[in-house]
Amino acid sequence: MSELIENLKNEIIEALNLEGMSPADIDENAALFNGGDPSVAGLGLDSIDALELIVLMERNYGIKLKNASEGKEIFRSVATMAEYISKNRTK
Amino acid sequence: MKIYVKAAVTFSDDQVTLNGEPVAIQQEEGKSWLANIYYSLGVQYPKFFKMDNLCKAGFLASEMLMGKLGSVPEEPKRDWSVILMSHSGSLDDDTAYQETIQSSDNYFPSPAVFVYTLSNIVTGEIAIRHKLMGESSCFITEKYDVQTAYELAQNGFLPEKGITHMIFGWCEYMDGHTDVRMFVLTTDATDAIGEWKGA
Repeated sequence: MSELIENLKNEIIEALNLEGMSPADIDENAALFNGGDPSVAGLGLDSIDALELIVLMERNYGIKLKNASEGKEIFRSVATMAEYISKNRTK
Repeated sequence: MKIYVKAAVTFSDDQVTLNGEPVAIQQEEGKSWLANIYYSLGVQYPKFFKMDNLCKAGFLASEMLMGKLGSVPEEPKRDWSVILMSHSGSLDDDTAYQETIQSSDNYFPSPAVFVYTLSNIVTGEIAIRHKLMGESSCFITEKYDVQTAYELAQNGFLPEKGITHMIFGWCEYMDGHTDVRMFVLTTDATDAIGEWKGA
């Protein structure tokens, strides 16, 4: 799982153009989205970033999200993404 | 109506000028020309890295222009418009987006690239950054034509709407080449560096 988390961090940095960030800067348990609330620690991603993460999961892991309502939990953090990917990946 | 210029910026592929004077850009290997300008200016705006190259060029030029005037980005500016001209518009990003959908075997359309496939996004990004509340438009023209530029600027000042200032000019990025000529124009001669006649 730790290797998947590390890979995922690198893929997120590349896909979302998180300039100047390294995997070590991303806490896998921190919130990816803060809902516009700067007091919530995390990456502070926006709705376009969310769409990019969906594309990333499909392109890199063969996972096509069928139910949009699942997204909120899957994309809560890098750790929840990795857990979902490990259970559902097709490549 | 007389138009005056308060600040002027140009970008080529290897030079940046502000009010006619060259600006030192530190060239760091592995970084793009526009990224090098960003770091040299000391700008802090993480969204820059999500922009397409047209928006990056327009954003950086507007940072220099507004910085020269001592403008505070967060303060709303109801008397400002932003009007640009471009030859290629968003074609550079359009091409990048096309590449994400070119092959049916590798068909992964990128939302982040798609959102910049419209030339007007560059003026929108500038208006958002500096809270410019007037008109925001990008016109596609063959080249920078002085007469066309002058007429567009004249039409952009709307006395009945209280528009007295404008970020105006030429913003072009295509195939790795940058060509920017942007100004702060005004109908108020106070603090202007000269009258502007389109060039």
